[in-house]
Amino acid sequence: MLTLRNLNAWYGESHVLQGVNLQVNQGELVTILGRNGAGKTTTLRAIMGIMDHREGSVVFNGQETIAMADHRIPRLGLAYCPEERSVFRSLNVTENLLLPPVIGPGGLSLDDIYTLFPNLRERAASSGGNLSGGEQQMLAIGRILRTGARLLLLDEPTEGLAPVIVQQIAHAIGLLKKRGFTIVLVEQNFHFASRVADRLYIMDHGVVVDHLSAAQAAAQPDRIRRQLGV
Amino acid sequence: MFDIFGIPSASLFSQLLLGLINGAFYATLSIGLAIIFGLLNIINFAHGAQYTAGAFVAWMLLNYLGIGYWGALILAPLIMAVIAVVLEKTIIARTYKMDHLYGLLLTFGLALVVEGGFRQAYGVSGLPYDIPEQLSGGIDLGFMFLPLYRSWAVLISIVVCVAVWFLMERTRLGAVLRAATENPVTVKSFGINVPRYITLTYALGVGLAAIAGVIAAPIYQVNPLMGSNLVVVVFAVVVIGGMGSIGGAIVSGLGLGIIEGLTKVIYPEASNFVIFVIMAVVLLTKPSGLFGRPIQVQNTVAAEATRVPLQLARQYQLAGWGVLLLLALAAPLVLYPTFLMKVLCFALFAAAFNLLLGYVGLLSFGHAAFFGAAAYSTGLAMKSLGLSPELGLLVGTATGALLGLIFGALAIRRQGIYFSMITLALSQVVYFIAVQSRLTGGEDGLQNVPRGQLFGLIDLANSTHMYYFVLAVFVLAYLFVVRVLQSPFGEIIRAVRDNEQRAKSLGYFTARYKLLAFVLSAGLAGLAGSMKVLVFGVASLTDVHWHASGEVVLMSLLGGIGTLLGPIAGALAFVSLQNTLAPLGSWVLIVQGLIFILCVLLFREGLVGLATQAWNRLAASPRNGRD
Repeated sequence: MLTLRNLNAWYGESHVLQGVNLQVNQGELVTILGRNGAGKTTTLRAIMGIMDHREGSVVFNGQETIAMADHRIPRLGLAYCPEERSVFRSLNVTENLLLPPVIGPGGLSLDDIYTLFPNLRERAASSGGNLSGGEQQMLAIGRILRTGARLLLLDEPTEGLAPVIVQQIAHAIGLLKKRGFTIVLVEQNFHFASRVADRLYIMDHGVVVDHLSAAQAAAQPDRIRRQLGV
Repeated sequence: MFDIFGIPSASLFSQLLLGLINGAFYATLSIGLAIIFGLLNIINFAHGAQYTAGAFVAWMLLNYLGIGYWGALILAPLIMAVIAVVLEKTIIARTYKMDHLYGLLLTFGLALVVEGGFRQAYGVSGLPYDIPEQLSGGIDLGFMFLPLYRSWAVLISIVVCVAVWFLMERTRLGAVLRAATENPVTVKSFGINVPRYITLTYALGVGLAAIAGVIAAPIYQVNPLMGSNLVVVVFAVVVIGGMGSIGGAIVSGLGLGIIEGLTKVIYPEASNFVIFVIMAVVLLTKPSGLFGRPIQVQNTVAAEATRVPLQLARQYQLAGWGVLLLLALAAPLVLYPTFLMKVLCFALFAAAFNLLLGYVGLLSFGHAAFFGAAAYSTGLAMKSLGLSPELGLLVGTATGALLGLIFGALAIRRQGIYFSMITLALSQVVYFIAVQSRLTGGEDGLQNVPRGQLFGLIDLANSTHMYYFVLAVFVLAYLFVVRVLQSPFGEIIRAVRDNEQRAKSLGYFTARYKLLAFVLSAGLAGLAGSMKVLVFGVASLTDVHWHASGEVVLMSLLGGIGTLLGPIAGALAFVSLQNTLAPLGSWVLIVQGLIFILCVLLFREGLVGLATQAWNRLAASPRNGRD
């Protein structure tokens, strides 16, 4: 469904991604692990095209996107949930949820999203700026489910959240996978990642340094720990 | 007819109505300004010119195509919106990746071109535009006569404002625009074409300005100058209301219009600047405006920091300055002393400005106030009190510095674009005082200021004496600037410019350093203004008008911001240009505007920057043998 070949990307002068190769198949949940600054977030941003400059190849559903305008790429059926969540303060929860345009069939309805994240239903009329961190995270995930995008890029959705909220998010991600969404999950939380992932990629210094199946990850936790330096 | 507090009701209510009309224009224009600022991150200085253009388009539609008021009310905004789309796509979009202040300078250039163009084509006396037949006449309400058109003007403006509020706050389009204002990257990642929305927003803002222009045409006539002072008032309204809120812009626009109208009845002398006084009070008590959210803006045009240093040994550079001084000493043999003195006065003015913009990163748009007020005070001191020229210069410098202290105390904590708008608005207070005060001679200005005898010995009426005196003062002032920049204080203000937060965390009380730099700059601008009045014997309204503030920005930009030589090169180029274009009337404005636009788009490093690059390339080429 998504293939990255020798993907390079820059922030201004600094060369952050130095040839990333990565493959995501339909219906899979793939996790990217790595230390701070390894290039995980940048990989997601480069897939979406929101970088100063990128080179190499990003093929989505058979279509090369490397030269595509950044607002066209999402319309192919990708959606991105940024690490900083970027919930809009000047919009209320419903407006936030309705903001991303519907780009294809198969998205969740507003009601489905509220069922998935009941907290949001209660806060429907509150401003995005008055939500708790967990609610903001739910909103940031929720709003990209409506659009009909089939590939979700989630950047550290559990970062800085209370364990009970992490449980809720994990449960939601599991449900989304059951509903047939393909998911790329960037994580620092190895336990969380290995519990939900089908396959795991490990990044360091802007390249993919290892690749494991869920079974391998379960069998050789030390292999991952060593690479992550934890 | 009855009286309220001794004021006839008819005059009270008609002033209130006029205030309401102006308030409606303030509201319409400040909404446009605010939404443009939100999404484009630039202060659209051309807003006033676009309001004027709206009125002119209405006039042209009537006189060239026979399309009347009602057609113009629809067509003029549409035409202006189309022009706005073209402008945004071709020119303005190029400034998004630059410092925000360049957007301000670019649109300032656009404003000059538009204003100059209309002046050149239609003169400044104004063209009549009739009230549409259906709305002529009025109703006698008993306590006042209510002209129909004026009520219509208020009504339609409020309807337009409320419609824009509804569009922004209650529709999907509005939600997208609000979201894109907060975080354009995320909105783009949803597959929304944000640049198109930006263009649309600019068109909407300009269209609003044009609607206001059409509505204003029958009330104020169609005049090239109608928007030029209005835009400054609207800046003040935006500062008072705060950038964040459309409802706030409507309420503060209408409210301030009414307050202005009331002031006209109670204390007419203050009516022109009451809004600016309110702005000062609001800034002191609620810095982010009455309805605004605090907005973080960077305040640096870090031109000097990113500059390529000249590849030339220090002794050669010193020798270069020596040659320059010799040239200046010999110049009166070849060139008119008056021309040279004008260059020196403006070069000092630009150097004062450059100290602030180039080395502290603050773009003041009110430096004409220091220059002009100093010119007036020196003129008065010498003419009425009979002070000697050296004391006259001191009086002027002190006036500039004192005024700088007042401006600075109000503005220094605000950053970037806010700082520019506040200094501009404050300078407008000085302008209106100069217009109205009996001391300044109003429209006539101060004439025939004597040059006097330097130290009671040297007669400055002699142009050669005067020239060498001006040159001496100039050199001393320049050495002072250089000394300031090389002192520890100079290092600290650079640090504040490059990263104010970091400078603060190192323990520097940055506001105090910025204030001191501002006062120094204002004092030097004052010295320049005093010299100017000595040289020409005239202090006039043009010295305090915001166009003069724009001119000093232009000189600095043209010469090269953040360079020592820049102000001299800029002033020389500017004064030469002014002299060449002087016989061509309003072409001066048009050419100035075009130079602004070109400088911002193509040579932000200015003449000195270009020369440095050329020299470095030459020095680096192997044939030259230099290492």
